[in-house]
Amino acid sequence: MSQSWMKLPERSNTLALWLIRTIALHIGRPAGRALLYPITLYFLLTAGEARRGSRRFLRRALGREPTGREVFRHIHSFAATILDRVYFLTGQLARFKIEIHGGQRILDQAASGRGCILLGSHLGSFEALRALGVHRHHLPIRILMNTGHNQLMTRLLNALNPALAQSIIPVGGPETLLKVQESVEQGCLVGVLGDRAASGEKIVRCRFFGEEVDFPAAPLVMAALAGCPVILFFGLYLGGNRYQVHFEPLAERIVLDRRQRQEQLGVWVQRYADRLEHYTRLAPYNWFNFYDYWREDGP
Amino acid sequence: MDACSPFELEVARLLVETLHLEDIKPEDIAPEEPLFNDGLGLDSIDALELALAISKTYGFQLRSDDQQNRQVFASLRALSQHIALNRVR
Repeated sequence: MSQSWMKLPERSNTLALWLIRTIALHIGRPAGRALLYPITLYFLLTAGEARRGSRRFLRRALGREPTGREVFRHIHSFAATILDRVYFLTGQLARFKIEIHGGQRILDQAASGRGCILLGSHLGSFEALRALGVHRHHLPIRILMNTGHNQLMTRLLNALNPALAQSIIPVGGPETLLKVQESVEQGCLVGVLGDRAASGEKIVRCRFFGEEVDFPAAPLVMAALAGCPVILFFGLYLGGNRYQVHFEPLAERIVLDRRQRQEQLGVWVQRYADRLEHYTRLAPYNWFNFYDYWREDGP
Repeated sequence: MDACSPFELEVARLLVETLHLEDIKPEDIAPEEPLFNDGLGLDSIDALELALAISKTYGFQLRSDDQQNRQVFASLRALSQHIALNRVR
Protein backbone atom coordinates (compact mmCIF):
# COMPACT_ATOMS: atom_id res chain seq x y z
CA MET A 1 0.00 0.00 0.00
CA SER A 2 1.25 3.42 -0.85
CA GLN A 3 2.50 5.19 2.23
CA SER A 4 3.64 8.28 0.47
CA TRP A 5 1.00 10.48 2.04
CA MET A 6 2.56 9.74 5.38
CA LYS A 7 5.95 10.70 4.11
CA LEU A 8 4.90 13.95 2.48
CA PRO A 9 7.19 16.56 3.89
CA GLU A 10 5.82 18.21 6.97
CA ARG A 11 9.00 20.24 7.26
CA SER A 12 8.19 22.66 4.48
CA ASN A 13 4.84 23.23 6.12
CA THR A 14 6.36 24.22 9.45
CA LEU A 15 7.07 27.78 8.52
CA ALA A 16 3.95 28.11 6.41
CA LEU A 17 1.69 26.84 9.17
CA TRP A 18 3.24 29.07 11.79
CA LEU A 19 2.82 31.98 9.41
CA ILE A 20 -0.76 31.09 8.68
CA ARG A 21 -1.66 30.88 12.34
CA THR A 22 0.06 34.12 13.29
CA ILE A 23 -1.42 35.98 10.39
CA ALA A 24 -4.87 34.50 10.87
CA LEU A 25 -5.12 35.46 14.51
CA HIS A 26 -3.18 38.70 14.61
CA ILE A 27 -3.45 40.31 11.21
CA GLY A 28 -6.79 39.07 9.91
CA ARG A 29 -8.32 37.02 7.15
CA PRO A 30 -7.98 39.49 4.23
CA ALA A 31 -4.22 39.82 4.82
CA GLY A 32 -3.98 36.09 5.43
CA ARG A 33 -5.71 35.37 2.17
CA ALA A 34 -3.43 37.75 0.30
CA LEU A 35 -0.44 35.91 1.74
CA LEU A 36 -1.81 32.59 0.55
CA TYR A 37 -0.61 33.47 -2.94
CA PRO A 38 3.12 33.58 -2.13
CA ILE A 39 2.67 30.61 0.22
CA THR A 40 1.01 28.59 -2.56
CA LEU A 41 3.77 29.57 -4.94
CA TYR A 42 6.35 28.43 -2.41
CA PHE A 43 4.59 25.07 -2.09
CA LEU A 44 4.29 24.75 -5.83
CA LEU A 45 8.03 25.26 -6.23
CA THR A 46 9.25 23.14 -3.32
CA ALA A 47 6.74 20.33 -2.86
CA GLY A 48 7.34 18.30 -6.01
CA GLU A 49 5.42 15.26 -4.90
CA ALA A 50 2.33 17.29 -3.98
CA ARG A 51 2.52 19.10 -7.31
CA ARG A 52 2.74 15.84 -9.24
CA GLY A 53 -0.10 14.41 -7.16
CA SER A 54 -2.25 17.41 -7.99
CA ARG A 55 -1.46 17.19 -11.68
CA ARG A 56 -2.28 13.49 -11.79
CA PHE A 57 -5.57 13.96 -10.02
CA LEU A 58 -6.64 16.95 -12.13
CA ARG A 59 -5.77 15.08 -15.33
CA ARG A 60 -8.16 12.36 -14.21
CA ALA A 61 -10.91 14.68 -12.95
CA LEU A 62 -10.84 17.14 -15.84
CA GLY A 63 -10.17 14.53 -18.53
CA ARG A 64 -7.29 16.53 -20.00
CA GLU A 65 -3.87 17.88 -19.12
CA PRO A 66 -4.33 20.55 -16.41
CA THR A 67 -2.77 23.97 -16.84
CA GLY A 68 -0.26 25.40 -14.38
CA ARG A 69 -2.95 27.81 -13.24
CA GLU A 70 -5.25 24.91 -12.37
CA VAL A 71 -2.56 23.19 -10.32
CA PHE A 72 -1.97 26.51 -8.56
CA ARG A 73 -5.67 26.84 -7.88
CA HIS A 74 -5.77 23.32 -6.43
CA ILE A 75 -2.94 23.94 -3.97
CA HIS A 76 -4.28 27.40 -3.19
CA SER A 77 -7.64 25.93 -2.29
CA PHE A 78 -5.92 23.56 0.15
CA ALA A 79 -3.97 26.42 1.73
CA ALA A 80 -7.17 28.47 2.04
CA THR A 81 -8.91 25.73 4.01
CA ILE A 82 -5.90 25.47 6.36
CA LEU A 83 -6.10 29.20 7.01
CA ASP A 84 -9.81 28.88 7.69
CA ARG A 85 -9.19 26.02 10.07
CA VAL A 86 -7.70 28.53 12.46
CA TYR A 87 -11.01 30.41 12.47
CA PHE A 88 -13.13 27.30 12.70
CA LEU A 89 -11.03 25.98 15.58
CA THR A 90 -11.42 29.22 17.47
CA GLY A 91 -15.17 29.24 16.91
CA GLN A 92 -15.27 32.21 14.55
CA LEU A 93 -18.13 30.90 12.47
CA ALA A 94 -19.78 34.26 11.77
CA ARG A 95 -17.11 34.98 9.16
CA PHE A 96 -18.39 32.25 6.90
CA LYS A 97 -21.40 31.48 4.77
CA ILE A 98 -22.01 27.81 5.36
CA GLU A 99 -24.75 26.13 3.42
CA ILE A 100 -25.93 22.91 5.05
CA HIS A 101 -27.70 20.04 3.29
CA GLY A 102 -29.26 17.23 5.29
CA GLY A 103 -28.29 18.77 8.63
CA GLN A 104 -31.51 17.74 10.34
CA ARG A 105 -30.34 14.15 10.12
CA ILE A 106 -27.35 14.86 12.32
CA LEU A 107 -29.42 16.82 14.83
CA ASP A 108 -31.95 13.99 14.99
CA GLN A 109 -29.18 11.44 15.44
CA ALA A 110 -27.59 13.43 18.26
CA ALA A 111 -30.99 14.02 19.89
CA SER A 112 -31.70 10.29 19.82
CA GLY A 113 -28.75 9.76 22.17
CA ARG A 114 -27.47 7.00 19.91
CA GLY A 115 -24.04 7.41 18.52
CA CYS A 116 -23.07 6.93 14.89
CA ILE A 117 -20.14 6.87 12.53
CA LEU A 118 -19.73 10.04 10.48
CA LEU A 119 -17.86 8.88 7.42
CA GLY A 120 -15.94 11.58 5.59
CA SER A 121 -12.85 11.94 3.43
CA HIS A 122 -9.95 14.18 2.53
CA LEU A 123 -12.23 16.04 0.17
CA GLY A 124 -12.56 19.60 1.43
CA SER A 125 -12.65 20.51 5.08
CA PHE A 126 -13.97 18.41 7.93
CA GLU A 127 -13.19 21.32 10.22
CA ALA A 128 -16.21 23.22 8.88
CA LEU A 129 -18.43 20.37 9.98
CA ARG A 130 -16.77 19.95 13.35
CA ALA A 131 -16.97 23.69 14.03
CA LEU A 132 -20.66 23.79 13.18
CA GLY A 133 -21.43 20.76 15.30
CA VAL A 134 -19.35 21.70 18.30
CA HIS A 135 -19.70 25.48 18.46
CA ARG A 136 -23.19 26.01 17.15
CA HIS A 137 -25.07 22.88 18.19
CA HIS A 138 -22.87 21.51 21.00
CA LEU A 139 -22.93 18.06 19.50
CA PRO A 140 -20.73 15.34 21.00
CA ILE A 141 -18.40 14.98 18.02
CA ARG A 142 -15.13 13.09 18.21
CA ILE A 143 -12.74 12.59 15.31
CA LEU A 144 -10.55 9.56 14.75
CA MET A 145 -7.30 11.01 13.54
CA ASN A 146 -3.80 9.95 12.70
CA THR A 147 -2.05 12.42 14.99
CA GLY A 148 1.34 10.81 14.50
CA HIS A 149 1.90 11.65 10.86
CA ASN A 150 0.52 15.15 11.18
CA GLN A 151 2.19 16.41 14.30
CA LEU A 152 2.19 19.99 13.19
CA MET A 153 -1.56 20.09 12.76
CA THR A 154 -1.86 18.38 16.12
CA ARG A 155 0.29 21.03 17.75
CA LEU A 156 -1.72 23.76 16.07
CA LEU A 157 -4.94 22.23 17.32
CA ASN A 158 -3.55 21.89 20.84
CA ALA A 159 -2.53 25.51 20.86
CA LEU A 160 -5.79 26.85 19.47
CA ASN A 161 -8.38 24.69 21.16
CA PRO A 162 -7.15 22.27 23.81
CA ALA A 163 -10.68 21.10 24.64
CA LEU A 164 -11.26 20.06 21.06
CA ALA A 165 -7.83 18.43 20.93
CA GLN A 166 -8.94 16.28 23.86
CA SER A 167 -11.90 15.00 21.88
CA ILE A 168 -9.67 13.47 19.20
CA ILE A 169 -9.26 9.72 19.20
CA PRO A 170 -5.70 9.07 18.03
CA VAL A 171 -5.09 6.19 15.64
CA GLY A 172 -2.61 3.64 16.91
CA GLY A 173 -2.53 0.61 19.14
CA PRO A 174 -4.95 -2.29 19.38
CA GLU A 175 -7.31 -0.30 21.62
CA THR A 176 -8.09 2.38 19.01
CA LEU A 177 -11.35 0.92 17.73
CA LEU A 178 -12.38 -0.13 21.20
CA LYS A 179 -12.26 3.56 22.05
CA VAL A 180 -14.38 4.37 19.01
CA GLN A 181 -16.92 1.75 19.99
CA GLU A 182 -17.13 3.09 23.55
CA SER A 183 -17.60 6.62 22.23
CA VAL A 184 -20.42 5.50 19.95
CA GLU A 185 -22.01 3.69 22.89
CA GLN A 186 -21.88 6.91 24.89
CA GLY A 187 -23.81 8.64 22.14
CA CYS A 188 -20.92 10.34 20.34
CA LEU A 189 -20.88 11.07 16.64
CA VAL A 190 -17.48 9.71 15.64
CA GLY A 191 -15.94 11.21 12.51
CA VAL A 192 -13.69 8.96 10.44
CA LEU A 193 -12.04 9.70 7.12
CA GLY A 194 -12.49 6.66 4.92
CA ASP A 195 -10.44 7.37 1.81
CA ARG A 196 -6.90 6.48 2.92
CA ALA A 197 -5.82 3.00 3.92
CA ALA A 198 -2.65 2.65 5.97
CA SER A 199 -0.11 -0.08 5.37
CA GLY A 200 -1.16 -3.51 6.63
CA GLU A 201 -4.72 -2.34 7.23
CA LYS A 202 -7.67 -4.47 6.04
CA ILE A 203 -8.83 -3.10 2.74
CA VAL A 204 -11.70 -3.27 0.29
CA ARG A 205 -11.08 -2.75 -3.42
CA CYS A 206 -13.57 -0.45 -5.11
CA ARG A 207 -13.92 1.36 -8.37
CA PHE A 208 -13.18 5.03 -8.07
CA PHE A 209 -12.82 7.34 -11.07
CA GLY A 210 -12.80 4.29 -13.31
CA GLU A 211 -10.06 2.35 -11.56
CA GLU A 212 -9.60 0.07 -8.60
CA VAL A 213 -8.51 1.73 -5.39
CA ASP A 214 -7.92 0.28 -1.91
CA PHE A 215 -10.24 1.75 0.68
CA PRO A 216 -9.93 0.96 4.39
CA ALA A 217 -12.43 -1.59 5.69
CA ALA A 218 -12.22 -0.41 9.31
CA PRO A 219 -14.86 2.37 9.34
CA LEU A 220 -17.66 0.10 8.16
CA VAL A 221 -16.54 -3.00 10.07
CA MET A 222 -16.53 -0.78 13.12
CA ALA A 223 -20.06 0.42 12.41
CA ALA A 224 -21.17 -3.18 11.92
CA LEU A 225 -19.63 -4.28 15.22
CA ALA A 226 -21.06 -1.30 17.07
CA GLY A 227 -24.44 -1.82 15.37
CA CYS A 228 -24.75 1.90 14.69
CA PRO A 229 -25.81 4.00 11.69
CA VAL A 230 -23.34 5.46 9.20
CA ILE A 231 -23.85 8.99 7.93
CA LEU A 232 -21.69 10.35 5.12
CA PHE A 233 -20.44 13.92 5.27
CA PHE A 234 -18.70 16.20 2.82
CA GLY A 235 -17.46 19.69 3.69
CA LEU A 236 -16.78 21.48 0.43
CA TYR A 237 -14.93 24.76 0.14
CA LEU A 238 -16.50 26.88 -2.59
CA GLY A 239 -14.06 29.80 -2.56
CA GLY A 240 -14.17 33.13 -0.76
CA ASN A 241 -15.86 32.59 2.59
CA ARG A 242 -18.32 29.98 1.33
CA TYR A 243 -18.58 26.38 2.46
CA GLN A 244 -21.15 23.74 1.75
CA VAL A 245 -21.68 20.81 4.10
CA HIS A 246 -23.57 17.71 2.98
CA PHE A 247 -24.90 14.87 5.12
CA GLU A 248 -26.29 11.69 3.61
CA PRO A 249 -27.34 8.47 5.28
CA LEU A 250 -25.32 5.47 4.13
CA ALA A 251 -26.77 2.74 6.36
CA GLU A 252 -29.07 2.54 9.35
CA ARG A 253 -27.24 -0.60 10.30
CA ILE A 254 -24.58 -2.69 8.60
CA VAL A 255 -24.91 -6.41 9.04
CA LEU A 256 -21.96 -8.54 8.01
CA ASP A 257 -21.99 -12.26 7.71
CA ARG A 258 -18.61 -13.79 8.44
CA ARG A 259 -18.44 -15.92 5.32
CA GLN A 260 -19.52 -13.20 2.92
CA ARG A 261 -18.00 -10.35 4.80
CA GLN A 262 -15.64 -9.15 2.08
CA GLU A 263 -18.39 -9.13 -0.60
CA GLN A 264 -20.87 -7.37 1.69
CA LEU A 265 -18.29 -4.80 2.70
CA GLY A 266 -17.52 -4.32 -0.97
CA VAL A 267 -21.10 -3.24 -1.62
CA TRP A 268 -21.12 -0.68 1.21
CA VAL A 269 -17.68 0.73 0.53
CA GLN A 270 -18.53 1.02 -3.17
CA ARG A 271 -21.55 3.15 -2.23
CA TYR A 272 -19.27 5.39 -0.21
CA ALA A 273 -16.77 5.55 -3.11
CA ASP A 274 -19.58 6.46 -5.52
CA ARG A 275 -20.76 9.35 -3.35
CA LEU A 276 -17.17 10.47 -2.85
CA GLU A 277 -16.67 10.47 -6.62
CA HIS A 278 -19.91 12.42 -7.07
CA TYR A 279 -18.80 15.20 -4.70
CA THR A 280 -15.23 15.12 -5.97
CA ARG A 281 -16.53 15.79 -9.47
CA LEU A 282 -18.67 18.64 -8.11
CA ALA A 283 -15.70 20.23 -6.38
CA PRO A 284 -12.45 18.81 -7.80
CA TYR A 285 -10.25 21.49 -6.24
CA ASN A 286 -11.27 20.11 -2.85
CA TRP A 287 -9.42 16.84 -3.42
CA PHE A 288 -6.72 17.01 -0.75
CA ASN A 289 -4.92 13.74 -1.36
CA PHE A 290 -1.79 15.15 -2.90
CA TYR A 291 -0.01 11.90 -3.65
CA ASP A 292 -0.05 9.05 -6.16
CA TYR A 293 -3.58 8.01 -5.13
CA TRP A 294 -4.26 5.66 -8.03
CA ARG A 295 -0.74 4.25 -7.81
CA GLU A 296 0.13 5.12 -11.37
CA ASP A 297 3.75 4.41 -10.47
CA GLY A 298 2.85 0.86 -9.39
CA PRO A 299 2.54 -0.44 -5.83
CA MET B 1 9.40 -22.78 23.84
CA ASP B 2 6.74 -22.92 26.54
CA ALA B 3 3.61 -24.97 26.09
CA CYS B 4 0.19 -23.39 26.61
CA SER B 5 -1.69 -23.93 29.85
CA PRO B 6 -5.19 -25.40 29.40
CA PHE B 7 -6.76 -21.97 29.93
CA GLU B 8 -4.42 -20.33 27.44
CA LEU B 9 -5.46 -22.97 24.95
CA GLU B 10 -9.12 -22.12 25.63
CA VAL B 11 -8.44 -18.42 24.98
CA ALA B 12 -6.46 -19.36 21.85
CA ARG B 13 -9.51 -21.27 20.62
CA LEU B 14 -11.75 -18.27 21.22
CA LEU B 15 -9.25 -16.12 19.34
CA VAL B 16 -9.03 -18.41 16.33
CA GLU B 17 -12.81 -18.88 16.22
CA THR B 18 -13.69 -15.21 16.64
CA LEU B 19 -11.23 -13.98 14.07
CA HIS B 20 -11.66 -16.93 11.70
CA LEU B 21 -7.92 -17.42 11.45
CA GLU B 22 -8.21 -20.19 8.93
CA ASP B 23 -4.61 -21.24 8.62
CA ILE B 24 -3.79 -21.12 12.33
CA LYS B 25 -4.54 -23.82 14.89
CA PRO B 26 -5.05 -22.76 18.53
CA GLU B 27 -2.20 -24.96 19.65
CA ASP B 28 0.14 -23.27 17.15
CA ILE B 29 -0.02 -19.94 18.94
CA ALA B 30 3.05 -19.49 21.12
CA PRO B 31 1.93 -18.04 24.46
CA GLU B 32 4.56 -15.30 24.53
CA GLU B 33 4.31 -14.36 20.86
CA PRO B 34 3.03 -10.83 20.18
CA LEU B 35 -0.59 -10.86 18.99
CA PHE B 36 -0.56 -7.53 17.19
CA ASN B 37 1.61 -6.13 14.41
CA ASP B 38 4.52 -8.56 14.20
CA GLY B 39 3.81 -11.99 15.52
CA LEU B 40 0.24 -13.01 14.80
CA GLY B 41 -0.38 -9.79 12.88
CA LEU B 42 -3.73 -8.81 14.38
CA ASP B 43 -4.99 -5.25 14.02
CA SER B 44 -7.31 -2.84 15.73
CA ILE B 45 -10.44 -4.36 14.10
CA ASP B 46 -9.40 -7.76 15.45
CA ALA B 47 -8.90 -6.24 18.90
CA LEU B 48 -12.44 -4.85 18.84
CA GLU B 49 -13.90 -8.19 17.74
CA LEU B 50 -11.87 -9.98 20.35
CA ALA B 51 -13.02 -7.57 23.05
CA LEU B 52 -16.67 -8.18 22.08
CA ALA B 53 -16.16 -11.96 22.13
CA ILE B 54 -14.42 -11.80 25.51
CA SER B 55 -17.27 -9.78 26.94
CA LYS B 56 -19.80 -12.34 25.65
CA THR B 57 -17.85 -15.35 26.88
CA TYR B 58 -16.37 -14.12 30.16
CA GLY B 59 -18.84 -11.38 31.07
CA PHE B 60 -16.54 -8.40 31.47
CA GLN B 61 -15.60 -5.45 29.29
CA LEU B 62 -12.11 -4.61 28.13
CA ARG B 63 -11.86 -0.85 28.37
CA SER B 64 -9.84 1.25 25.98
CA ASP B 65 -8.63 3.55 28.77
CA ASP B 66 -7.27 0.64 30.75
CA GLN B 67 -3.68 1.60 31.51
CA GLN B 68 -2.62 -2.01 31.04
CA ASN B 69 -4.17 -2.35 27.62
CA ARG B 70 -0.97 -2.63 25.68
CA GLN B 71 0.19 -5.33 28.06
CA VAL B 72 -3.19 -7.07 27.92
CA PHE B 73 -3.00 -7.38 24.16
CA ALA B 74 0.73 -8.11 24.18
CA SER B 75 0.51 -11.89 24.04
CA LEU B 76 -1.80 -14.85 24.52
CA ARG B 77 -0.33 -15.33 27.99
CA ALA B 78 -0.95 -11.71 29.04
CA LEU B 79 -4.46 -11.77 27.61
CA SER B 80 -5.28 -15.05 29.36
CA GLN B 81 -4.01 -13.73 32.68
CA HIS B 82 -6.09 -10.59 32.30
CA ILE B 83 -9.21 -12.66 31.52
CA ALA B 84 -8.55 -15.00 34.46
CA LEU B 85 -8.32 -12.02 36.79
CA ASN B 86 -11.39 -10.19 35.55
CA ARG B 87 -13.84 -12.85 34.38
CA VAL B 88 -17.22 -13.01 36.04
CA ARG B 89 -18.27 -16.24 34.37
